[in-house]
Amino acid sequence: MARFEAKSEVMGVVSKIESKVGDRVDAGGTVMVIESMKMQIPVLIEDSGSVRQILVAEGDTVSEGQVVAVLEG
Amino acid sequence: MPNDGKSTSVTEAGGARRARLSREFEARRSKAMAMGGPERLERRRQKGLLDARARLGVLLDPDTFIESGLFGTSASRIEDKERSPTDGKIAGFGRIDGREVAVVSNDFTTMGASSSATNGRKIAHMKRVATSRGLPLIFLGESSGARMPDHMGSRGMGTLLGNDPTQYVRLRETPWASATLGLSYGSSSWYAVLSDFCVIRKGAVLAVSSSLLASLAIGEAVDPEELGGWKVHAETTGFADAVADTDEEALAAIRTFLSYMPAHCSEPPPERVVPAGSGDGMRDIIDLLPEQRTQVYDVRRIIRTVVDKDSLFELKPRFGKVAVTALSRIAGRTVGIVANNPLVKGGALDTDACEKITSFLVLCDSFNISIVLFVDTPGFAIGTDAERRRAPGKIMNFMHALQLVTMPRISVILRKSYGQAYLNMGGGRNSDEVAAWPTAEVSFMDPTFAVKVVHGLSPGEPGFNEALAGMQRESEPWDMAGVYAAQSVIEPHTTRDYLIRMLEVHRLRMTGGVGQHLLRSWPTSY
Repeated sequence: MARFEAKSEVMGVVSKIESKVGDRVDAGGTVMVIESMKMQIPVLIEDSGSVRQILVAEGDTVSEGQVVAVLEG
Repeated sequence: MPNDGKSTSVTEAGGARRARLSREFEARRSKAMAMGGPERLERRRQKGLLDARARLGVLLDPDTFIESGLFGTSASRIEDKERSPTDGKIAGFGRIDGREVAVVSNDFTTMGASSSATNGRKIAHMKRVATSRGLPLIFLGESSGARMPDHMGSRGMGTLLGNDPTQYVRLRETPWASATLGLSYGSSSWYAVLSDFCVIRKGAVLAVSSSLLASLAIGEAVDPEELGGWKVHAETTGFADAVADTDEEALAAIRTFLSYMPAHCSEPPPERVVPAGSGDGMRDIIDLLPEQRTQVYDVRRIIRTVVDKDSLFELKPRFGKVAVTALSRIAGRTVGIVANNPLVKGGALDTDACEKITSFLVLCDSFNISIVLFVDTPGFAIGTDAERRRAPGKIMNFMHALQLVTMPRISVILRKSYGQAYLNMGGGRNSDEVAAWPTAEVSFMDPTFAVKVVHGLSPGEPGFNEALAGMQRESEPWDMAGVYAAQSVIEPHTTRDYLIRMLEVHRLRMTGGVGQHLLRSWPTSY
């Protein structure tokens, strides 16, 4: 079981967290949504895994490349 | 001829001579074909790697390879002559889908396929023939770099390097494709990044020099994968157009790439039969575009619906992901697709995407490929990071390249098209035709921001909603069509038919489908 990180691709505000710790997310699935440039931009994961940590809360500002969740798959 | 005894004895002598020559030829041929010997070849097989000749077998149509330079050996040091069959680089000609190609396959089991005087002549010959006769050129890279000690000292340098002033010139007379299939340093890397298509196999390394030399230079251990592994080139440098799990997959990618390309720059790309089922999803294509303008989606689903079935061949899918660049076919003819992908960063174009699109425009224009742009972008990514990544320069390189394109360009605005990005994605006269879906919104900036800039109003303040509604109305495509800046507003389900018709209208009849190639010497590896 390898741990891997989910990162925000943009600077923006966390508008909705769609997964909680323990949830299984399939490759291509969404962990949370960031609002940036008036768009709702999903944080997608490339490999399937289970959510181990959520590192931000709704309303937080995140920067480009910031780790927002840790998964294990 | 009468059988008078004399002629019989001549025939027997001739037979013996032929047999002797044949034995000698076969002995020399077997030695050359043995590459680095059975032990080294077996070690590769155990690792699941193909050797240089097996790679040619997978790449080329069966029984079409004719070798050039089978009996070449090391020329610099006499003691290397016996241990350098084919001098480590196997060169020749073969066919792919029935068309002739020139190919160089590095044999790493022979002196690490290092670059030398003889094999340098082979590469130069392949390039000369490919260029003058109109053949695609393929490099199967796996090489340790310059041969040592041949290149050492001023005599070595003077003898082996710099004697061909056109060695690294790219004028794109014919398409070049490369596969990086192992440790590739020096010339293997140079030819990979000079190529029009570069696929890298997982586990291979593409770098200037080895991790050992890099470690010596900087005084700390360097991991080869970190130095130049597939992830580095697929995601960070963008040198890799494709990534493969196996040698076989990489070689298949080269065949696929070439299926879209003409053999040379003076002919149009080949045409294919239109697959059954092409265009079947057009009726419901609007359902792939979210109703809410703040929602993202994967533009590749829209593209796949429009183009011929199963014809989408995406290049650099892990690099500059806010843009999609892909070879494809519409009505059996090759087209280059450039699209914004709102799924990533909302489709805001960053510097990587600018470079990726620019290099793709070079590919298309150099090889007579018409370009279709699908537009949905809120603009260029802005901010301190973008400026430090030289955003203005990248945006203008992209714009400059687009304006030099002489092949037909057709833009379809799906949704957002704002500011300078409107021009970069073919707005105005930067495409030969601009069509907009009724869902298009075109303006200098997003109406939400514009209400603040123009009226000084923020969401929630009195008058904001009315001002926003007015600006949104003015962003609809009808006014743009009214001033003929969009030549057409089309219903989404007619997009494929529209493109088929317009690509036909804009065919370059005066030149047999051949463009002017003003981008042919543009450097694409930045």
